[in-house]
Amino acid sequence: MSTVNVHQKAHGQTEEARAERTRGGQAYRPHVDILESKDELILVADMPGVKHDNIDINFEEHVLTIQGRVEPRYGEGVNFLLYEYGVGDFYRTFRLSEEIDSTKIHAEHANGVLTVYLPKSEKTKPRKIAVTASA
Amino acid sequence: MSLIPWRNKKEDGGAGQLTPLGEFRGEMNRLFESFLRDGFNFGERATGLPSLLSNWGPAVDVEETDKQIRVRAEIPGVKAEDLEISIRGDALVIAGEKKGSEERSEGGYYYQERRFGSFRREVTLPTAVDPDDVRAEYANGILTVELKKSLEALPKKIAVKAT
Repeated sequence: MSTVNVHQKAHGQTEEARAERTRGGQAYRPHVDILESKDELILVADMPGVKHDNIDINFEEHVLTIQGRVEPRYGEGVNFLLYEYGVGDFYRTFRLSEEIDSTKIHAEHANGVLTVYLPKSEKTKPRKIAVTASA
Repeated sequence: MSLIPWRNKKEDGGAGQLTPLGEFRGEMNRLFESFLRDGFNFGERATGLPSLLSNWGPAVDVEETDKQIRVRAEIPGVKAEDLEISIRGDALVIAGEKKGSEERSEGGYYYQERRFGSFRREVTLPTAVDPDDVRAEYANGILTVELKKSLEALPKKIAVKAT
């Protein structure tokens, strides 16, 4: 099993990748926003340089894993004047509660940003109970 | 999610008392650590300003070949039409605005790590470039700008005559 250190870009935080990865090397932890709306949680992750086909989202035992494979961008013999960002895959896991309806998770990807929609399950949604008047 | 850095008591000059020298040393240690961590990327963390106030700029790579200069910038989540690229003197200026995701939120944030707001980055170019021959492309959150070196900047071979 290959363990991979996951770095957060420009933050220097690392975490050990929990799952086994088939590709070694450096992986980055994408920056995310998680928002809540009435019906769902929305996870927004910045993953610059990842192509649509190279995104892998997995949900297993309450753990949501997002992975993005980044193709190496540089050829040999390039003279760098500035080299500010590292190139590597993106990897991050999230533990979700049972209140998420995992069968309805869906995602979209645009401009290097991955958005994952995590609908709340029916039983956790607030419900109004109608009161019938009985005479 | 904001974390307050845990500070070693020793940095405070011991016993929680702030001596000027201890304070100075602590400050230097923090600066040094932040430099080791972030390098020259003096962003929000280094300046202590919230992202809306600090004029942040994206991270860039600059490569040089014989005939051209290629600049790449990581700018996820921007529309191509919201990017403004210009050449000013010997610098390439990348500016734009990244929109936050708050308009979709009704119940607030659990995590907020992504940066948004307007950004601007000036990259000094190593040689003169032809301002009329610049190509810019934006795909999957990466902006690539290719600039051709101007004729005066291209290396010229000078023949040496034997006398």
